Amino acid sequence: MLNKIQNLNYLLIFLVILISFIGAAGLYSAAGGSYNPWASRHLIRLVLFIFLAVILALLNIKYIYQFAYVFFILSLLLLLSVELIGVFGKGATRWINLFGFSIQPSELIKITIILALARFYHDLKFDEIKRIKNLFFPILILFLPFALVVVQPDLGTALSIAMLGILVLFASGIRIWKFVLGFFVLILSIPLSLNYLQPYQKDRIFSFLNPEADALGRGYQLIQSKIALGSGGLTGKGFLEGSQSYLQYLPEKQTDFIFTLIGEEFGFIGTIFIILLFFLLISVCFYVSIKSNHIFGRILSIGVGSNLFIYVIMNISMVSGLMPVVGIPLPLVSYGGSAMLAIIISLGLVLNAELNANLKKLHNA
Amino acid sequence: MFYSDDKKQYSVLNRRTFFLYLLKVSFFGIVGWRLYDIQIKNSEKYKTLSKNNQIDVEIIYPLRGKIYDINNKILASNTKVFDVYIIPENTKNINKSLNELNQIIKIDFSDRRKIIELSKKVKKFEKIKVLENINWSELEKIESNKFNIEGIFISQDYMRIYQYNNTVSHLIGYTNKPNREEVELPFIANMPNLEIGKDGIEKSFNPNLIGKSGQREIEVNSYGRVIREISRQDSQKGNDIYITIDLRIQKYALNLLKEHKAGSAVLMDINNGNILCMASTPSYNPNKIIQKPNKEYWDSILENELSPLTYRCIQGLYAPGSTFKMVVAIAGIVHGVIDTNTKHFCSGKIGLGDRLYHCWKNNGHGLMNVSDAIKESCDVYFYEISKKIGIDKIAEVAEDFGLGKIYDVPLPNQKKGIIPSRDWKKKKYDESWYPGETLISAIGQGFVLTNPLQLAVMTSIIASNGKNVRPNIIKKNNDFEFEKLEKYQNAIKIIKSSMFKAVNESKGTAYNSRSESTPFAGKTGTSQVRRITVAERESEDFRKKDVEWKKRDHALFVGYMPVENPRYAVSVVIEHGGSGASTAAPIAKEIFQFIKKLET
Repeated sequence: MLNKIQNLNYLLIFLVILISFIGAAGLYSAAGGSYNPWASRHLIRLVLFIFLAVILALLNIKYIYQFAYVFFILSLLLLLSVELIGVFGKGATRWINLFGFSIQPSELIKITIILALARFYHDLKFDEIKRIKNLFFPILILFLPFALVVVQPDLGTALSIAMLGILVLFASGIRIWKFVLGFFVLILSIPLSLNYLQPYQKDRIFSFLNPEADALGRGYQLIQSKIALGSGGLTGKGFLEGSQSYLQYLPEKQTDFIFTLIGEEFGFIGTIFIILLFFLLISVCFYVSIKSNHIFGRILSIGVGSNLFIYVIMNISMVSGLMPVVGIPLPLVSYGGSAMLAIIISLGLVLNAELNANLKKLHNA
Repeated sequence: MFYSDDKKQYSVLNRRTFFLYLLKVSFFGIVGWRLYDIQIKNSEKYKTLSKNNQIDVEIIYPLRGKIYDINNKILASNTKVFDVYIIPENTKNINKSLNELNQIIKIDFSDRRKIIELSKKVKKFEKIKVLENINWSELEKIESNKFNIEGIFISQDYMRIYQYNNTVSHLIGYTNKPNREEVELPFIANMPNLEIGKDGIEKSFNPNLIGKSGQREIEVNSYGRVIREISRQDSQKGNDIYITIDLRIQKYALNLLKEHKAGSAVLMDINNGNILCMASTPSYNPNKIIQKPNKEYWDSILENELSPLTYRCIQGLYAPGSTFKMVVAIAGIVHGVIDTNTKHFCSGKIGLGDRLYHCWKNNGHGLMNVSDAIKESCDVYFYEISKKIGIDKIAEVAEDFGLGKIYDVPLPNQKKGIIPSRDWKKKKYDESWYPGETLISAIGQGFVLTNPLQLAVMTSIIASNGKNVRPNIIKKNNDFEFEKLEKYQNAIKIIKSSMFKAVNESKGTAYNSRSESTPFAGKTGTSQVRRITVAERESEDFRKKDVEWKKRDHALFVGYMPVENPRYAVSVVIEHGGSGASTAAPIAKEIFQFIKKLET
């Protein structure tokens, strides 16, 4: 036990804390120089979740392996119940109240998808991967949550689930042509699933897909976001000195658009610094993957790293105008409990995988 | 069942992991390049965009509520005016612009300096007021030259206007910019340029009249031009206030008062306490205070030694003189010192200690009962009975009749006056009460001080057979009854008949002001403003008209109408009017007759 604590990857923990602190500084500034309402809660969550992650890291990896499918099914049920509440309750929602906490199951399911796929490919003989029938199960694991998220409708998260699936399947070694085929199936499933949607859900999706139609809403948001980033220049306007964000140009400055606030106040140096920190964090995950002597650890670590990668690239592309505005937060920086919980817990799993990198046998525990 | 030693699989996985890592590097590269593009390469472009795009919150000022009289006549409202502004950023040379404007309309030199100073302090695109409330011909001239003068623009605004100039000025008050302390008031909140009520109803009802500010978020470019409105929350107009004043009576009374230098008239409806008229002269014109420049007018008001800003109805304190005798008589009856038959002989004076106390009638009234004493206003009778009643009991009754009190009506700066007693003197001067002071107080002189509104309330209580009438200035819709002071019933009956005689029987002090068409009852009062020397008293000419104005006595009259089931109570005070009978009573009569005419 003590040995395990000593061998924890402290670089990873340090990176998580550093990035979260930068996030807290941004939130402090977004609130006009106040810990309330965001920065203080952000920091409290950080402490709480890191504690959870370390406990998770110290668990026997066999249990995580054994319960991988159970976790997936539980989170799928949570996601389904959100859907049912949406249908029978007061309209579309992404949140569910669990033990007094408001949780967004679509954030959690990304982690359990990684777990389920990691276990599936761990159990599969390498020779069997080529078989078509063995493609059925992983695609089901991806498609069910994807479809549920699409009908919410939360296209940003759905897209990130699809991309996560593509990256994990690619990493697990399936044949390239199958990979390409699977990719097309996922793309094709979008218009297919649209047929089953209510008109208002379709409207939402189309307005997501075509933000220019709403030029004064989201289109305007994007222009302001670029102005905030650009006016920061090389060194930024200084902490608490950003004008764009204070002036309420950005309605979601504390969540999806926090990066622009940091870009305005700390400039190019600040944004590149954050990007480098994320690059390092993701590299640690890749390093743990390579280091792992079992497929479960490999797929798990590379999955978590890819998930982080998708979050970061989508968020920054979104606020810098490289892709349309879809609601994706910047991990550890944006305000929001569910995403932060999912990210830190998944990194806890990576910590665990590293501690158990040399383990040979996982089942028959 | 464990395949981790499958070399082939691991080499595939390593290849794939490496490929994914390359993917990651390239995507981070793309994002990094994008940020470089925005934050370094195009930074200048976004920096200017950032400066140009400013969001301003513009406060929308609410329209102040109107004030109406009891018959829904507008007493105060708002009128559209045109103001001239300058935006420093829109002119290359602010001095030049002001010079050019000065050729059309004269701008005060000190105002010009202030504008130039202000232009250095505020944001360049902020507008600065140059001229206020310009007239039509000025507006025309500026409009036609607008394009020659850089940075100038004309904006429509609202200004307070008082329809009847000085008729109700004291009561309604006026508005002006808040001073440093008033800016902190909660209802002003975010509206530093709001004009607020400074006196009277305008002041008391500031929170109601002001309304709620609105605001609009606007995006402006560097020229101060509004690009678009982001959000708008309209302001809420202030509430209108309906007061109990009857403008017709107010005007009429004011005209009567204008024949004298200074005075006041208060008329109350005794059924509900409504103040129908509360006129005070000299008065001022609030419109001239509001319209700038007002310095000349303001100076003339401040230099006027009659102090036109004083609202004499509630701020003027006068010795009530003989109008106080009703209170003393009621105290005598209630405390059993006198009844209707109790008589005293008036020889023109009585002695107490080593001093003589004179009656106004030097050779005396002869044998008097209480009714005659009020009717003929015999001083000696009241000297005699006050010795037996004592000052404390008189004070108690006086307070029951509303004297020495500040009323719970929204009239700012009421003056309380003085109803003296032993305790009062002890507290105030740390001296004991002298018996002689009781005598002086009994004829409403000495320490006793009342304001005209208090005298009207006192008269209302008497006229209503002892209802505890309280004044009311805000129009109410529901009827209500004042509580009755039972213990004074009997005494009031005697007093009322005496007040009737004072006006309607020969020898009554106000007999000359009697009205056949509009019978009323009342009591005169003449209050000394200085001590009369023995020499003057003997020379017998101390009441003659040619006494210097400032040394003349104040003239008072209180009365009610109709005689049976009275409805109106009045108090008239003419400063240095000579005597109540000669100056105050005729005014009361005119007012009563005017009301009668209005009613028919």
